[in-house]
Amino acid sequence: MSGFFEAVIDIFTSESTYINGALFAGFLAFAASGELVAERAGTINISVEGMLLGGAFTSAVGYHLTGSTIAAMAAGVLGGVIVAGVQAEMSHRLSADQFVVGLTLNILVFGLAGFLDNELEPDTELASRWEVPVLSDIPLLGQALFGQRWPFYLLYLLVPFTWWVLYRTRWGLELRSVGENPQSADVSGIDVNRRRRQSIYYAGLTSGLGGWFLIFGQIGLFEDSVVGGRGFIAIAAVIFGGWTLRGTIAGCVIFAGALSFRLSVQGLGYEVNSELLQSLPFIVTLAGMAVFAHRVRPPAALAQPFVRGLK
Amino acid sequence: MQSSADGLTGAGSLVESAPAVDIRGITKRFGPVTACDGVDLTLRRGRIHGILGENGAGKSTLMKMLIGLVLPDEGSICIDGVPQQIHSPLAAASLGIGMVHQHFSLVDALTVWENVALGEAGRLNPASIRNRIGEIADHYGLIIDPDARVGNLTAGLRQRVEIIKCLRRDPSILIFDEPTSVLTPEESVQLFSSLRQVVTEEGRAVVLVSHKLDEVLHATDDISIMRQGKVVDRLLAGDTDAPTLARGMVGRDVSLRSESAALGVLVIDEDGAKALDSNASPDAVPAVSSPPILTIDRATLRGPGGTPVLDDFSLELHPGEIVGVAGVEGNGQRELGDLLSSLVSLNSGSVAIEGTRVPDGRSGAMAKAGIGVIPEDRHDSGIVLDMTLAENLILVDQSRVSTGGVINQVELDDFAREMISQFGIHCSGPDAPMWSLSGGNQQRVVLARELAQHPKVLVAAQPTRGLDVGAIEYMGDRLKSAAADGVAVLLISSELEEILDLSHRIVVMHAGRIVGGMDRANVSLESLGLMMGGVAQ
Repeated sequence: MSGFFEAVIDIFTSESTYINGALFAGFLAFAASGELVAERAGTINISVEGMLLGGAFTSAVGYHLTGSTIAAMAAGVLGGVIVAGVQAEMSHRLSADQFVVGLTLNILVFGLAGFLDNELEPDTELASRWEVPVLSDIPLLGQALFGQRWPFYLLYLLVPFTWWVLYRTRWGLELRSVGENPQSADVSGIDVNRRRRQSIYYAGLTSGLGGWFLIFGQIGLFEDSVVGGRGFIAIAAVIFGGWTLRGTIAGCVIFAGALSFRLSVQGLGYEVNSELLQSLPFIVTLAGMAVFAHRVRPPAALAQPFVRGLK
Repeated sequence: MQSSADGLTGAGSLVESAPAVDIRGITKRFGPVTACDGVDLTLRRGRIHGILGENGAGKSTLMKMLIGLVLPDEGSICIDGVPQQIHSPLAAASLGIGMVHQHFSLVDALTVWENVALGEAGRLNPASIRNRIGEIADHYGLIIDPDARVGNLTAGLRQRVEIIKCLRRDPSILIFDEPTSVLTPEESVQLFSSLRQVVTEEGRAVVLVSHKLDEVLHATDDISIMRQGKVVDRLLAGDTDAPTLARGMVGRDVSLRSESAALGVLVIDEDGAKALDSNASPDAVPAVSSPPILTIDRATLRGPGGTPVLDDFSLELHPGEIVGVAGVEGNGQRELGDLLSSLVSLNSGSVAIEGTRVPDGRSGAMAKAGIGVIPEDRHDSGIVLDMTLAENLILVDQSRVSTGGVINQVELDDFAREMISQFGIHCSGPDAPMWSLSGGNQQRVVLARELAQHPKVLVAAQPTRGLDVGAIEYMGDRLKSAAADGVAVLLISSELEEILDLSHRIVVMHAGRIVGGMDRANVSLESLGLMMGGVAQ
């Protein structure tokens, strides 16, 4: 038993645990901040998985064609937004069921990305590492937060920006009202489905960035399995966080902690059943949801389609 | 309108009396239903125009066309003499038309100032919105905390927010859609006095849409009566009286008490109530000495925020009596209905039938113990619209038409036919889809189903909401005859007139409690009103 505690201490004092944790949390946070915006406007945007994968793939292709990480970022955003476009227009213009659209879209993007990856085999390489002076020397956390490759630092802009958009702009106010009470919003003169489409486009934008970050800030290589279900963990983080930005980011950190813990166990040479270890992040997610999900109040009109007219 | 409107008496008065809104020949159809049929309506500045009509007469549709929520099929709308196409609420707002909605257009999760800011354009500037709310509050006496969360406000305060939201855009035309349906009598009086101010001092045109005769008679200048999508009569409020209005609304003389109750003629003052007593009193008052059949003992139920929605609520019901639960909507009546439908579990307290405790919150337990419920929202929890009439009749209990879990179609049809004839349900037969029935007939199906169970207690929650006069009358008769057969009837209604008409005993709910009660025979409207406002007696 003492071996177990030693191992845990070992893992928690290892810098690599924090570096990996920050990378995983960062990836989740890109996706989750957009997902939060979409959900506050009333859509459970399960196609975030497809947006991440689409963005990752198009950014890889963008880099392959131009050799520029910036161009790759633009391409990644484009990929995320294209997937978002299908979700948004299908579910909030044509009134198709948002879950059916999302599920189909995830499968479609997965197949398409795998196929095109084989055809094009895009070459990619990691972006350069930026070490923030002084801050990156903080023990344990310095490298994790300030010693990453530069795409990571975009988060330091994206998260505050998302907060500002959601809580300090008229657009954000209207988004929130649309997710709480679309009838009232409509009566007040807000185009409900338009705002909902826009919120999904925002999710496409942040997920596209997330996909790009995954390739150029973390892995360096595209495969069709790079996202591997973590879009759904981003959705869980939003729910876990009670549909607030602060809670969502906390959820990302906790779930990423589990992912990183798993990696460190193996990296530091401890032997644990690997299948069990694989499922750890999902067990933590489920446990987190079980404890917190009933304490929070979702947007009142979440997942309810809005059709204008007499009620 | 006839006297002051049409004359071109001079330049000054011409400007003053130019119609703010001139609606000509407006028609709107929803599928086979013509909601508005060639309606003409003229609204003038400085006057309150009452639009009176039963539910479904087309009042709301007409207003929705004026506010841009519904587009007319035919006809024209002129604002200040200029023809306009009003295709959205924003367009209406830019033309100076504002509406205070029946079911408020507010978002509970947002604060007062955020709600007021909704639907405007431009940069979001919280400070200036807060200032403006303060100015409006001072000017009209509509005091409100701009940072309060709307979901925590009372109905009266919520309406205040709605009015401020409307006035902030400085509309020249102001529409109130059934504004008093959620207010206490005192709050209504307050509302009408600020309305007067808006009209007379600031020369706005105000529309008051209502199905309550008194309200329209006392608060307006001009009255248009709508029936079946048409304006059937135009009157000056000063030249008419309640019976004339009632006749215009229903299309025939209103003599029955339940009808006049439904139309809101009754609750006007103490004299009216007493006059009532003399012309009819609830049938045979039951002996209260018999043991209670339903006992709710200190029931407490907490809402999502931890605030009690039922707070130490105790009530006893005796066989054969109709107990009316009065009160402003949202004071726990819905939860009381939910409790007796086994939909919620109590935090503490108990429910017992004939002294035997019934487990609360266990699906179907209340029904099994003998409590029948006519639910508040028929479509939400009373019937399944896409199933047939016969299927809806056996939703609660299939045992009479099934053996070993298999439904016998022949027995089901026989049972349905029996119910159809017994309850006079107008339909094409047992297989008629539920949606093909009118609201009144759907309610008869619910009633038939519940009474066929031979309940000991019948809970009728807002049983006549959205029904026409004939159906209201029928429902009242049925409840009375159920009581005469020894069923204890709990009538939960926000229509005080209905409660006064049917109940033997009245209790008033406020904030989840019973704040007082009285026998129908000794009713005092003044103290009822005070209790509805939360003043315990």
